[in-house]
Amino acid sequence: MTATTLARPDRATRAPAPAPAPAPAPEWSPMTPPAAFDVRAAFAAHGPALLGFAVNALRDRPLAEDCVQETFLRAWRARDTFDAGRGSERTWLFTIQRHVVLDVLRARQRAPRLDEHEDALVDVPADVADPLDRLGLVEGLARLGDEQRAAVVAVHLRGLSYREHSEATGVPVATLRTRVFYGLRALRDHLDEGGTTDDRTR
Amino acid sequence: MTAPGDPTDPTRAHASGPDHGHGRGPDHDGPDADRRGELVAAALAGDLSSAEADEFARLRAADPTVDEELALLGGVVARTAAVADWQDVTPSEDLRRRVHAVAEPQATPGDAGAGDAGKAGDAGDAGDAALAPVTPLRRRRRLLLTGVGAAACLAVGAGLGALAVAPRDAVVEGPPGTLGAVEHLDFTGVPAGVDLDADLVAHTWGTETVLVVDGLPVGDAFSVVVVDDRGQEFSSGAFLGSEVPVDCRLNAAVLREHVAAVEVRGADGEVASAEVPAVGA
Repeated sequence: MTATTLARPDRATRAPAPAPAPAPAPEWSPMTPPAAFDVRAAFAAHGPALLGFAVNALRDRPLAEDCVQETFLRAWRARDTFDAGRGSERTWLFTIQRHVVLDVLRARQRAPRLDEHEDALVDVPADVADPLDRLGLVEGLARLGDEQRAAVVAVHLRGLSYREHSEATGVPVATLRTRVFYGLRALRDHLDEGGTTDDRTR
Repeated sequence: MTAPGDPTDPTRAHASGPDHGHGRGPDHDGPDADRRGELVAAALAGDLSSAEADEFARLRAADPTVDEELALLGGVVARTAAVADWQDVTPSEDLRRRVHAVAEPQATPGDAGAGDAGKAGDAGDAGDAALAPVTPLRRRRRLLLTGVGAAACLAVGAGLGALAVAPRDAVVEGPPGTLGAVEHLDFTGVPAGVDLDADLVAHTWGTETVLVVDGLPVGDAFSVVVVDDRGQEFSSGAFLGSEVPVDCRLNAAVLREHVAAVEVRGADGEVASAEVPAVGA
C-alpha cells in the first residue's frame, strides 16, 4: 500500500475488555472555545434535510425519524472529534447519517422472511440493482436547497414541463431552468465524489 | 430557502454544489452563464423552442464545453430514474424533542423516544459508546409489502399460492452478540480520504463482517482479519481497492462472543482496527 497508508494502532492481546475509561471532563478556562456542536442549533439547521434523506432512502417515516435521532446521538458522542476546519457540520452529519441508513438497509437485506407455507426461512433478493447508487442520489437530492430540489424533482422525476411547473408555482420558466441546471451540477459533484460531496475527513 | 450554488441566492458567489463551494467543470459566471445554464437545462428536458434551439446550436459551436457539460448532466438525469419520486417532509415535534434529548445526560427514556435509540440516548456520553445496544433503531412492526413477499416466495419456488403469504418483519435487535443483529464498528487508523463503514453480525457458524469502503488505492489488495480475545487471528477474506465503493460481506470462523477486534490490512501489514465490545459486558 503506497498512496494511502493505514496507521497501525496499538493493540495488545485483549483479555476480557475492560470498561472504557470515561473521558475526562475538560477544564474550563477563559481560552475554552465555545461548544463545537450544538445539537439544537444543528437540528434546526440540518434536521429537515437529514429527515428528507432518511425518509426517501428508507420510505418509512417512523424508521427514518429513528435514523435521524440515531445520527444526532452518534454525532453527540463523537462531538469531540468534529473539526470545523476539516469539513462542515452539515457534511459531517450527512456522513454519519449515511452510515446509519446503510446499517438499516443491511439489516433489511439480511432479515429472513418466514414463508408460512414452507415453514422455512428464505433469502430475499435485493429489490434494486444498486442500493448504493440510489442512496447516493437520494443523499445528493436531500443536500440540495429546497428550491433547486423541487425544480429537479418536478422536471426530472415527475416529468413535468418547465411551463407546467411554472404555472403551478408562479416561478418564471427561466428561473426554474437555472435552478435545475445548478441543482444537477451539484448532484454531479456529489456523485463524482463518491456520494460524499466535500467529505474530506469523514 | 436558497442554497449555495443557486443563482437565485443573492449571496451566491460562484456556481457550486449543494453545500460546498468547489463546483467543477467549466467556469462561467455572470448573465451569460445563467443563460448558458438555462439552455443546457432546457435541452436536457427537451424543452427548447425552435428559436432557443438555434441559439443553443450557436452556443455549442462557440463553446465546446457546452457539449461536455450536456453529457455529464445528462448522465445525472439518467441516474435519477433510480429515485422515482421525492417525498417532502418536515420534522415532527416528537422528533425534535427526541433529538434535543440526546444532549441531556439526565434524559428519561420517554424524553429520548420509546425505542432502543432513546435508551442509547440516555447515556449521552462518548464513553458509553461501547455499551450501546446493537442496531439501536426502533423498528415499528408492520407487514412488508406484498411484492416483497412475492419475491421471497419466488426465491424458493413456492408457487402461485405463495401470494397469500404474510411475511413477518424480522429485523433482529439486541445487545452485542445477539444472533443476526447488525452491530456497528468504529474503526481507528482510517486515513484521511478513506470512508470505511462496517458492521458485525453474529451467527451460529461464526462472525460476519459487512464493509463499505471507498477511497482505498485502486487495485491494492486488502484483507480483513478477525482477532479473538486471546489474540488469535482468523482470516475473514480479502478485497481490492476500487474506483467505486466496495460493498462486501466476509465471514470468519470464530464466534462473536470470542471476537475482540476486526482489522483491515494492506499488503504491508498495516491496519485500521476496530475494537469490539465484549459480549455480556
